[in-house]
Amino acid sequence: MDITSWRFPVFLLAALAAYVLLPQNRRWWALLAASLLFYACGGAAAMAYLGVTAAATYIGALLLQRLNDRRAAMDQEARRASRRAHDRKRHLTAGAVCCVCFGMLFAVKYWDSTASALGLRPLGLVVPVGISFYIFQSVGYVLDVSRGKIRAQRDPAKYLLFVSFFPQMVQGPIDSFGHLSPQLLSGRKPDADELRDGIQLMMWGFFKKLVIAGRAATVVDAVYSDAGAYPGSVIAFAVLMYTVELYCDFSGGIDIVRGAAGLFGIELAENFRRPIFALSLAEFWRRWHITLGEWMKNYVFYPLSLSGAFAALGRFSRKHLGGMAGRILPTSLATFIVYFIIGIWHGANLTFLAFGLYNGVIITSSILLAPLWSRLKKALRVREDSGAYKLFCMARTSAVVFVGRYLTRAPWLKMSLIMLWRTVFDFHRRRLIPGILALGMSWTDLVVVGLGCAAVLTVEALQERGVRIRKTLASKGALVQWLFIFIPLTVILLFGALGGGGSEFIYGRI
Amino acid sequence: MDKLIEILRSVCPDVDFETETDLVGSGILTSLDIVMIVSELMAEYDVKLDVDDLVPENFMNAGTIHALIERAGSK
Repeated sequence: MDITSWRFPVFLLAALAAYVLLPQNRRWWALLAASLLFYACGGAAAMAYLGVTAAATYIGALLLQRLNDRRAAMDQEARRASRRAHDRKRHLTAGAVCCVCFGMLFAVKYWDSTASALGLRPLGLVVPVGISFYIFQSVGYVLDVSRGKIRAQRDPAKYLLFVSFFPQMVQGPIDSFGHLSPQLLSGRKPDADELRDGIQLMMWGFFKKLVIAGRAATVVDAVYSDAGAYPGSVIAFAVLMYTVELYCDFSGGIDIVRGAAGLFGIELAENFRRPIFALSLAEFWRRWHITLGEWMKNYVFYPLSLSGAFAALGRFSRKHLGGMAGRILPTSLATFIVYFIIGIWHGANLTFLAFGLYNGVIITSSILLAPLWSRLKKALRVREDSGAYKLFCMARTSAVVFVGRYLTRAPWLKMSLIMLWRTVFDFHRRRLIPGILALGMSWTDLVVVGLGCAAVLTVEALQERGVRIRKTLASKGALVQWLFIFIPLTVILLFGALGGGGSEFIYGRI
Repeated sequence: MDKLIEILRSVCPDVDFETETDLVGSGILTSLDIVMIVSELMAEYDVKLDVDDLVPENFMNAGTIHALIERAGSK
């Protein structure tokens, strides 16, 4: 179901009515029914993938829970003696679940591109919406049970709700069981403030998605479909618009789904914290898609960094390299691997492989060069807390992100490189405005996108300073509060790209 | 404790480990710093730390890190 269509608010209202009318201990039934109905719109295959993921992780978690319970019942001596055998069984069980889930994800999302590179037969499977998100969330649950952080959910229907909760099916966030499941099952009725906050957040999300991202998409789609035909200036503008589109598409989508969940009194994990203000690329990724970063940290980066192989590498590098370089080499390698995986997670072709390498190399280099950079700052007497330095760091991060965007939208890596080459060596400044207008973007579109970006930047700058916009609004009279719902609604209806091709979310295809 | 502070300073020279009380919550230590600190501690104290030990509560300040090493040493 397209959440920018009129069907979604109707669906949401019906689900909310059912939720509120049911007795408190049965309200989660309404959420489960709504979630399955929402996902069933994606077809039988989509339901089958969801079912396999839920079944594999449900059974795996129960087996792990049984292993942990058996060990907990032992006395201290027996527990110590059985530690190795217990860990081996735990790892085998969790590994089997990972193989089923990630194997299915590979078959659905990556097999065709791998097959075409190797000259094998493609499967031609349709990638259902949200598959990467619910698989990562479910596997995270299994690993948490394996580590004894949470207890496995015995009720299959309650567990299915955790896997399939409908707002998350669009583009995450990847929540943890400990945070999400108790909220889903509590059956708490939302109060008037939560309803108003939820609607306001959704309106803000629709504004970013439909008014800004939807309009920016016009020029992006046109240029990327035939990049060879445009001068560097138009290509650079299209990449800038793609950067704007992705920022507003992703953050707007997250606001919509967080607002929708908020209507049921459910607070989804924060997934986007104003990355435009990041001072480094590593910080950018800590602010962009926060829950994916947390997942990678907990289930890839930490285990990898503390693994036997990395410990051995650490001993080797300390002995042979010594100093800071010897100390940070293993961590840098683990960081590189994580960013490489994040790159591939975003897509199944060479451009995303290059994107992963690009991020991995820059972040790893910044770790390795940190001592040198620190000495340079001291020599130049740079004050790190000064506004000018922070502005410089923000501009530097934005430039690095901007260049990275050349890699992620083009269908082939060669085209990305041609676009980058043209931007640098074949710019043609004077062809910019006529080029943009010829692409179907009018002056009105340019002004709307420009003003929209200014509004987003202003709001985010206030939030960065600690201003809580919705809380401030809540302290005003009812008229002001409702105006902040109707004004965005009017702007969306007047200027939003309604019913156009720009309704699909970029991250929804991941 | 002095030895610990010295080790921590060698990994993160810009951090004031003697006075800071919430190194993780205030964003001073990132996951990268934590892993580097843990690698250093495991090498210096010859202790084994697990992924389960890498929780914010264990890295709030020098005192909680010290307690973590003592617990790991007595395992």
